[in-house]
Amino acid sequence: MPRTRLRSTLRAGVAALATIGLLAACSANAASDAGDAGQPVYGGTLTYLEHQPPSCLYLPAAGFYPNGGVLNQLTDKLTWQDPKTLKIEPWIAKSWEINADATEYTFHLRDGVTFSDGSPLDAETVAANFDVYGLGNKELKLPVAEFVNNYARSEVIDKSTVKFHFNKPSPGFLQGTSVIGAGLVSKKTISLPYEEQCQLKNVVGSGPFTVANQVVDKEIDLVARKDYSWAPPSFAHQGRAYLDKIKIIVTPEDNVRVGALTSGQADYVRYVQAYDEATVKAAGYRIYAEPTRGVNNGLYLRPANSILQDVNVRKALQAGTDAKEVVETLFTDSYPVATSVLSKLAAGYVDLSAQLGYDPAKANSLLDQAGWVRGADGIREKGGRKLQLSVFVSGPQPLSKQTLELVAQQWTKIGVKLDVRQADSGTQAAALKDAEKTPLVHSMVGRADQDVIKSQFHTRNRDVLLSNDAQLDRLLEEQSALVDANARNAKVAEIQRYVVDQGYAIPLFEEPQVYGAAPYVHGVSFEAVARPSFYDVWLSKKDK
Amino acid sequence: MTRYLALRVGQAVLVLWAAFTAGFVLLQLLPGDSILIKFQNPELGLSPDQIAEIRRLYGSDAPAIVRYVHTLLGFLHGDFGYSIDTGTPVLDRLAEGLPATAKLATLGFLVAVLIAVTIAFVSSYSRFAWIRGALLALPSLFVSVPTFWLGIVLIQVFSFQLKLVPVIGGTGFEQLILPVLTLAVPISAPLAQVLARSLDQVQAQPFVAVVAAKGASQRWILWRHVARNALLPTLTIAGVTFGELIAGSVVTETVFGRNGIGRLTEQAVAVQDTPVMLAIVVLSATVFVLVNLVVDLLYPVLDPRLAAKVGVTA
Repeated sequence: MPRTRLRSTLRAGVAALATIGLLAACSANAASDAGDAGQPVYGGTLTYLEHQPPSCLYLPAAGFYPNGGVLNQLTDKLTWQDPKTLKIEPWIAKSWEINADATEYTFHLRDGVTFSDGSPLDAETVAANFDVYGLGNKELKLPVAEFVNNYARSEVIDKSTVKFHFNKPSPGFLQGTSVIGAGLVSKKTISLPYEEQCQLKNVVGSGPFTVANQVVDKEIDLVARKDYSWAPPSFAHQGRAYLDKIKIIVTPEDNVRVGALTSGQADYVRYVQAYDEATVKAAGYRIYAEPTRGVNNGLYLRPANSILQDVNVRKALQAGTDAKEVVETLFTDSYPVATSVLSKLAAGYVDLSAQLGYDPAKANSLLDQAGWVRGADGIREKGGRKLQLSVFVSGPQPLSKQTLELVAQQWTKIGVKLDVRQADSGTQAAALKDAEKTPLVHSMVGRADQDVIKSQFHTRNRDVLLSNDAQLDRLLEEQSALVDANARNAKVAEIQRYVVDQGYAIPLFEEPQVYGAAPYVHGVSFEAVARPSFYDVWLSKKDK
Repeated sequence: MTRYLALRVGQAVLVLWAAFTAGFVLLQLLPGDSILIKFQNPELGLSPDQIAEIRRLYGSDAPAIVRYVHTLLGFLHGDFGYSIDTGTPVLDRLAEGLPATAKLATLGFLVAVLIAVTIAFVSSYSRFAWIRGALLALPSLFVSVPTFWLGIVLIQVFSFQLKLVPVIGGTGFEQLILPVLTLAVPISAPLAQVLARSLDQVQAQPFVAVVAAKGASQRWILWRHVARNALLPTLTIAGVTFGELIAGSVVTETVFGRNGIGRLTEQAVAVQDTPVMLAIVVLSATVFVLVNLVVDLLYPVLDPRLAAKVGVTA
């Protein structure tokens, strides 16, 4: 298969480059905002290089990072989450009321907002959007959105007032209205079947840019909407976007993206690999390592697996994994070592670094206690069975293969064999729901709300653990229904402790999204989970 | 001639049917399927029941034989079904990618021929043994260079360092230069090797000595006698290298971020988009069959002795 050949060549190249890059990558630090070059100017074209072509753009299913560069420019949301304070601020909704038990949300919409096809963004349209996001639509094959829980129905009070009713308290809903998946689309778009909503040409939003041209899999050209005048009120910048045009060009090769940036062919690129950060900085360009504020990049151990059902084995693997070594060997300062299940910047984070320290002696004694004894080859055995586990390389995680291989090396020191398997997505999908075939997974999830922990672990959400632990589900549900923020944070802390105590998670690092931009690109900004917004971006003279 | 053509067309149809069937069966045997890959996306949080429901909606729960007949009938009517990944008709996706790939492949092939002919002729007629040796070593080098590596090196040197051609932006022509070169180099290798060898063989033939004895100039001998005879084996190889063009375009299009059939193949394989993969298999088989048919029909034009065999009378 040509693809296999390509991939192994790519991998060999990446490995070689990684070695070189690492030698120089020790002094990385994230650049701060670029708003330091005087008055913003209007006009110009931004060339933005994206790693992968966008996938399906049906909004609730569009969290895939490559979609972010496009969708955040095309759609607006009811609310805006300040990425620094994580506070929810008005946007299309100029104000809102929530009843005491968080089962009724009333939003008052701003007047005069229109979609790019000219249709009005009114209460009826917002209701139609959230009816689909909250309930799905079987006929149109539209699945429910992850960020809406316990949704019952919508009620249009008047042209600019809409009320949402919930079956059970849904305190996460307000933040849910600010995420990428909650982008508002025209009534025509939301009434289309799934396949149609997936396609860029059918996505009609009210955002600061519209699609001018698309070459499938290669390029998307966006142009500024001249009549745009409904940016979040808290923004200093109002009215139309500064840029005239954005060319989003898909460039899958890592070193072509970085080379194009540093040679002046592109202005802004997504996904700079850890080993390329030093190259970008050395050329005088900026690195933006943006936190994703959610469940950390880590290994998630499945209690239904016949080996991992023993909590001592899970705890031993946790103690036998040196996350610090992983970060220091493969990554840069843009990737902080994990100190809990959640990122330091996540809502409800609690520092568990004391429990997560690297302790091979403890790991060995736990495994001894659990009855696993070392065989002749150094791998532990029990009842004739080897302590051998397998894990799939996870495509979306940065340097997943290298990370897993390093963990496998660490585990051999405690007598555990980890097979790192590279498989096509079909094989992975078929094995994903079977704890014997997929004993552990390498994953993360980003979202700036307490509910992110539920997304990752609840049996009716991502269920990364294939959990058989009713208590975990119960804790997650309690968290999700707590209206008081402090009580909710306390519950999230309890869940983090529980997940770590049970050995369900081996957190590795706080996964960032890493971007590179030229020094003449100003006003670079991101939403709370690191997808770029181009509304504020402006270009000064290209000559440095 | 008509009979020969009918026979060849019959063979072609058989080959296409076999490619379709083999493709269909092999794709069925793959673990998992595109619906599972797409809808088991953890972000959607669908339960196995819901996924089964979606599978029913897509009709992919029918017995394999029913789907086989259904798909085959569709193909006969030019209906390749829908891409499960993007929801667009497969025909549209092919139509989006085909022109770009056709341009890339055609130019790549022409440049390959140019490189091959230059190497073969200069080496055959060079008076210096070292030039000859150096040139004849080139094909082995070219064929061993991985397309992926060559593409990256060309980009690094000509675009990023020397800044001669942009990879991002630039005119359509500028965007073609490096990819065409990347694709042409490995393909030129077998062509150059076979052509150089045939040139040598033909030159050793007695009739060349006869023509030379009759006083023909070296140029006359080369173009009228040697080249014509030496082209036949090269033509056969040229037909076969078509497969290389497709494989090469997968890599080239990915490295250069071009859209086309190669990229489409890569993406379809990544998410196991069965309808797209099946259509690409049949498309590749069709072009392969056509190219080889053209090659076979060209033989008698180049060599009149073969005309008698295929029933063409002058």
